[in-house]
Amino acid sequence: MHDAERWRQWPWQVIHDTPRPPLLQMALDEALLAAVAAGRRPALLRLWEWSAPAVVIGRFQSLRNEVDAAAAARHGITVVRRITGGGAMFIEPGNTITYSLIAPDRLVRGMSAGESYAFLDAWVLAALAALGVVAWYQPINDITSAAGKIGGAAQTRRAGAVLHHVTMAYDIDAARMLEVLRIGREKLSDKGTASAARRVDPLRRQTGLTRGQVMAQLAAGFVGTTDATPATLGPADLAAAEALVASKFATPEWLATLP
Amino acid sequence: MNRLHGEYKQPGGKLVVVDLLVIDGRLCQVQLSGDFFLAPDEALGWLTDALEAQPADLALESLAALLAAAAADAELLGVSPHGIATAVCRAIAAGAPDA
Repeated sequence: MHDAERWRQWPWQVIHDTPRPPLLQMALDEALLAAVAAGRRPALLRLWEWSAPAVVIGRFQSLRNEVDAAAAARHGITVVRRITGGGAMFIEPGNTITYSLIAPDRLVRGMSAGESYAFLDAWVLAALAALGVVAWYQPINDITSAAGKIGGAAQTRRAGAVLHHVTMAYDIDAARMLEVLRIGREKLSDKGTASAARRVDPLRRQTGLTRGQVMAQLAAGFVGTTDATPATLGPADLAAAEALVASKFATPEWLATLP
Repeated sequence: MNRLHGEYKQPGGKLVVVDLLVIDGRLCQVQLSGDFFLAPDEALGWLTDALEAQPADLALESLAALLAAAAADAELLGVSPHGIATAVCRAIAAGAPDA
């Protein structure tokens, strides 16, 4: 199957969401993945807006190895754990571009995991290219450019559906990030640089556009690929997510599942 | 008793971190973590359980074989049994008296 045909197997929705707090963002990904898996919702792209700063750690990361909890608390930064693997992200609302793709996993049928990452973000690389940013996929899950890393992706699958979410740096307060995240030398060992801050080169510097303009370009690129129609989250989506916040994401058992 | 800590980053892959104790020459309270991808989520427990109570002087290749067997029904991305075993051996070496 050609890539274009894969994207057009079913109708898509594009949801430019309203600002949500970090715990609810984590829960919405799980709730919407369940809804798409059960056929209660069509495939969707959700463009996130954050209402508060956060550190988002990966499903399999150790809380204390990744986060300076005292520094995070001092700066009013919520620490949350997401349902996908991958690394810690430092989120500031105006500096971050985050989106989730949720679809039946037939979308990536026959692909290796590595291939599916690159395939699911090909429309993003094309949209960035249209803005003059030459970006490419660095296996396994990094979106990078000659000037440095732009973002990272993570995936998980449930009952025939795939969740693929990405966070990109529009801008970055590198000093604040290094205060809150613990980034060890071993992690940087094959990156060819000793500085975590210098690894990231944000979209603001590379495009000169506002964050809103970059988001609009991404949405337009996605609609061009999928013919997605605009949509919003409904009360059932939010109720399901709020329930997951209470039963899972806000509990110490989840956050510190790997202390 | 000090917890021992080892890390290994697979070239082109992800970081794996091991924290453990060695008591009476055996691994215990093993925690595996990192920015790798695993499916299903339970596979982390399978891998951890495979290391628990193993002799601390087991060869890297033997540890890797135990981990590979434990992960037979799992999908690992960015990490391998050999990489996890390397991090385990680094943690043990960090706690050796002559280290």
